[in-house]
Amino acid sequence: MEIYLPIAEQSMNVFVLLGLGAAAGLLAGMFGVGGGFLATPLLIFVGIPPAVAVASQANQVVANSVSSLQVHWRRGNVDFRMGLVLLLGGMIGSSAGVALFTYLKRIGQIDFVIAVLYVVMLSAIGLLMLAESLSTYVKRRRNPGAPRGKLHTHYLVHRLPLKLRFYKSKLYISALLPVGLGFVIGILSAILGVGGGFVLVPAMIYLLGMPTAVVIGTSNFQILFVAANVTFLQATTNGTVDVVLALLLILGGVVGAPIGSRLAAKLPGVVLRGLMSVLILAVAAELLIELLRTPSSPFSLGPREVNP
Amino acid sequence: MRRLLIAFVAGLTWTAIAHAQGPRAEPPPSGLPGPPPSVPTGSATPDLVVDLSRARVSITSAFQGESILMFGMFDPPGEVVVVVVGPEARETVMRKERFLGLWLNTGRQSFDDVPAYYAIAASQPLQRLLARGAGGEILSLEDRMSTVTPVGSRVAAELAKFRAGLVEVKRREGLYPAAIGQVTVQAGRLFRVDLPFPSRLPEGVYEVKAYLLREGKIVAAVSRPLPVGKVGFSAQLAGWASHDGALYGLGAVFMALFAGWLGGAIMRRL
Repeated sequence: MEIYLPIAEQSMNVFVLLGLGAAAGLLAGMFGVGGGFLATPLLIFVGIPPAVAVASQANQVVANSVSSLQVHWRRGNVDFRMGLVLLLGGMIGSSAGVALFTYLKRIGQIDFVIAVLYVVMLSAIGLLMLAESLSTYVKRRRNPGAPRGKLHTHYLVHRLPLKLRFYKSKLYISALLPVGLGFVIGILSAILGVGGGFVLVPAMIYLLGMPTAVVIGTSNFQILFVAANVTFLQATTNGTVDVVLALLLILGGVVGAPIGSRLAAKLPGVVLRGLMSVLILAVAAELLIELLRTPSSPFSLGPREVNP
Repeated sequence: MRRLLIAFVAGLTWTAIAHAQGPRAEPPPSGLPGPPPSVPTGSATPDLVVDLSRARVSITSAFQGESILMFGMFDPPGEVVVVVVGPEARETVMRKERFLGLWLNTGRQSFDDVPAYYAIAASQPLQRLLARGAGGEILSLEDRMSTVTPVGSRVAAELAKFRAGLVEVKRREGLYPAAIGQVTVQAGRLFRVDLPFPSRLPEGVYEVKAYLLREGKIVAAVSRPLPVGKVGFSAQLAGWASHDGALYGLGAVFMALFAGWLGGAIMRRL
């Protein structure tokens, strides 16, 4: 069954889009991160223009982070002070990111930049995850009862100025660090249409040294507002948010997420992360091949200007 | 409470599906004029009468491209040529080149007055008909494209490459169909031709023109406007997005907030 997407201006199979949303939701349920970083490249593979894919995916991220924020809010796992400091950077970063996006779109390089950034980011994450799950697997086989080592050091964090106390996270660190982190995630969010949880969560644990319990809730808090900002700015400046596309992705995600969390409960984490890393690397490879392969035609069309 | 929530999601799904099913009888958007009756231009007695199987191309939520039939009658002898032209606009062609092993856009060239859509069909091989003198008014795609004006200056040979690239991309998108098939003639005076429109179709008022040629001269011509536009739900959303991006953006955010909250609430209770 085909549906016409009014902003993408093309028709697309409803079940393909629902399936993509479900796959993203599955990942979100399994790993606690939004599936945006896989859904956006897949949308591009099925033929949605990259600019529309990114902006509509940001809209989907809003829905995704609301539903997981609900859970963490209720359990009291949100450090609002940290969330607001992150958000300060996030808002500046995402606004700058949308401006950069608009500029790249005007000079006709946005598709290329999206593809390159995805290749770099997905390869890095995929390789890190693969290495981590392989080494964990090997270690566990050698001595099953080994305790985990200390995960972080605090040198850099302790030397920067503008220190703030974050009671919930039991931290006394410079505010510059979370602001900077929020800024980077904001730019990623604007250009790639992702929430950025897969970068934000490890950074909060390893870089800021936050307790794991409050990390997911706090990151969801920041992602919600940043994704809302990106959606709003993309709609006003580029007009690339397709709500029909976003709604189909959200509906798919609602179905996929609980299946993902049930799967996660059954399979061991090492195996899950290994599978996930292979999937991520496959998508990165496909994007890279597209960039390297001689195109069937070197020509493409930019936007039509009815009243130049 | 649980039932209420489930009914709500069912409603949301239904709305999405309902819009995907079949074109609904919507009133035409006020901006697009309806087609006037086909009045032949040129002669008092109609040598050529035409009609279209549909008065407009409606881009609904279920639009997948459309084929429109043009049919009519002419006074023999003679040959019929049909030309369809979409609204003109500035188009920008981008060219990719290999840079450090990666393919990226390195060149761009804009052209003014590029028709969004261009198709031509005839009841005889076109070259032969046009060679006999009607070429001044009826243009083959190649002739039409040679009239598009480049923006800025560039070497002629390079311009020709970009021009060819423009035609190539438009062809690929089905907007310059290479051969829309011959105009078929029955009983010596009835003719018909199918006009194919792809799913990615620019909006605007298209012009469908039929010519009657005798010995290379145009003896009658009939023109019909063919409005192409989004209709119903698609039209409302697209119009909203382009006229009031801020309100549309807010709407998109609140839709996602609500859908996400609802989805989360339902999944916790299941």
